[in-house]
Amino acid sequence: MIDATDAAPRPLIDTTARRRPIGLLLVAVPVFLVAWLVIWPIISAILRTVWRPDANGTVGFNLSSYVFFFSDRYSLDNLSVTLWTTITCAALLLLICLPISLYLRFSKGRLPDYVQAMAIFPMFVPSIILSYAFIRVLGPNGMVDILLNSVGLPKIRTPYLTPWGPVIGLVWDNIPLTVLILLSGLGNVANQAIEAARDVGANKLQVLWHIILPRISNSVLVALSFAVLGIFSAFTLPYLLGPASPEMMGPFMQRTFREVNDPLNAITQAVITFGFCIVFGLFYVRSVAHNQGK
Amino acid sequence: MKRRDFMLAAGTAAGALMLPRMSFGAEGTIDWYTSSDSNILDFWTNTVKPAFEAANPGITLNLVDAGDGAGVIAIGERAIAAKQTNTDPQADFFESGDALLPSGAIEAGVYTNIKEAGLSNYSKVNPLAIQSDYSLPYRGSQVLLAYDSAKLAAADAPKTWDDLVAWIKANPGQFVYNRPDKGGSGGNFVRRAIHQANGLDPAAFTVDNYTEEFGNEALTKAWALLSDIAPSLYDGGAYSSGNTQSIQLLAQGVVTMAPVWSDQVLQAIDQGVLPAETGLVQLTDLALAGGFTRSIVIENGTNRDAALKLADFILSEEIQGAILTELGGFPGVSWDYVSAELRERFADIVPLTIPTFPGGAWDAAINDGWYRNVAPNVDRAS
Repeated sequence: MIDATDAAPRPLIDTTARRRPIGLLLVAVPVFLVAWLVIWPIISAILRTVWRPDANGTVGFNLSSYVFFFSDRYSLDNLSVTLWTTITCAALLLLICLPISLYLRFSKGRLPDYVQAMAIFPMFVPSIILSYAFIRVLGPNGMVDILLNSVGLPKIRTPYLTPWGPVIGLVWDNIPLTVLILLSGLGNVANQAIEAARDVGANKLQVLWHIILPRISNSVLVALSFAVLGIFSAFTLPYLLGPASPEMMGPFMQRTFREVNDPLNAITQAVITFGFCIVFGLFYVRSVAHNQGK
Repeated sequence: MKRRDFMLAAGTAAGALMLPRMSFGAEGTIDWYTSSDSNILDFWTNTVKPAFEAANPGITLNLVDAGDGAGVIAIGERAIAAKQTNTDPQADFFESGDALLPSGAIEAGVYTNIKEAGLSNYSKVNPLAIQSDYSLPYRGSQVLLAYDSAKLAAADAPKTWDDLVAWIKANPGQFVYNRPDKGGSGGNFVRRAIHQANGLDPAAFTVDNYTEEFGNEALTKAWALLSDIAPSLYDGGAYSSGNTQSIQLLAQGVVTMAPVWSDQVLQAIDQGVLPAETGLVQLTDLALAGGFTRSIVIENGTNRDAALKLADFILSEEIQGAILTELGGFPGVSWDYVSAELRERFADIVPLTIPTFPGGAWDAAINDGWYRNVAPNVDRAS
């Protein structure tokens, strides 16, 4: 056997230095694109906000736009509503998606197929269509109000144009990705482990807490960091469903850039948004690295 | 067909499409460009073009969508370049343009002086709308107040700013306007408040008189007016995110009144989005701001004379009436030259004055100031 492997013209996994250039060449294109379209704009944005001419025209190190952001009540309100929306959405996503994924993982038959289709469906709905559907259903005098009214119940307090509008929209929009990631994590939980725990008398909650959750904690982290990254910089749903003020960072940046004609402050807002996102991004990178290290 | 033949044929067809399309300004074909929305292009395709071509045998219209304002300006620059080299600009008529853009077009002799061109209908043009001798205001749009006549009788509809404020306060939650940067209906409502706070004098604001000091002084007073009515607005101070969303709230019976663009609301009524009995009213102490669309004729175009015929044609009673009934816009001619029947039908929205508000630095100041001072003023958590 050993002879046969040695005699093969080329081993399946080639680790000789000779073949490395091709591998590097293959990753060069994506790396170049990321460097050009992502890394460079970030560096340029940071440089442009900290190294620029001051009021007298002398170019130098200047943090005034950041000082303005962090001393401006209005900007801070927008930042805090963005954080609040993100955290609320993440918590709700976990609360909604974990039971769905557990159900899908541990049941068999046709019904789970339908549930899965329902859970994945939001992935195929563009957010602008979702927004208008939301207004028609949950908006004032919308479908829910009409249904409630027909059975003599009072109208709901509509979440349209309040901070809860974007929360509901964003949670719905992020269900598919979260469910899919959690499901893949649950695939790693062996049935034998659960059966063994049951054999020694663990109840359902104990199985969840001691057997399942520790095994999928990585997936939970990945799912949450994906959702959080998307939600933090969301634009369409907060723009169409949220209140005029405070606004989330996405619409705030776009408005500062286009309507207020203030690129400097818009870039500053973008750098600060990026700073928060990189923290969540690090969670994701750490968990991936952790996984590969195993 | 065999697969290979099909591929060959498809490739040839695609290649033919990619060949540069050569075109020359043809005698008798007016090259027409617009920067307006698709509803305007539809209006020209379905109404103006057939009528004009029927009235002028031998002349056809080539309608081209230039995309946006910058697109029309680029064609204008091409016309200047063509003038310098004595070549064909391949353009005869701009449906919408600014005679001052691209700068130098008038001096270069590229835009026709419409006042001197001897149009038979030029004297009918609403003098309030004329901005330049080189452009022809032929349609307008203005912000009006639309209201649900089932909840508010026409006789009780507010006709002045003070009445409006009193009505808003007496009927909390029944009025909504959109964020000023997200659509002109709310934007011009906010500008009307600025006019109100500064002596009802639109002339006080010009495109180049913005200074931080004057801006702060003038706008702060307006923010006070708007903050004052905020708690009585829809949902205790919520602002819709666009023109359409305001109309949607009106259509769903959530609010009784909202500022709307004249053309959008007439179209919404026409399409059944809003009921036919939707009431429209304009403030009489000073109307809400609006604007006119101005057409331009290219002096060095191959079909300059035909284009002038077209300019005269769009001022005719037929087309001006169609602008009202089909487009939902305002006529560019004075109301005396609109048929009596239409004048009667649209009596409530006839603008006595057409105030406008300058853009430039004012836009940025208004967009920023409103968000900082008006939008967050109310504690909506309760």
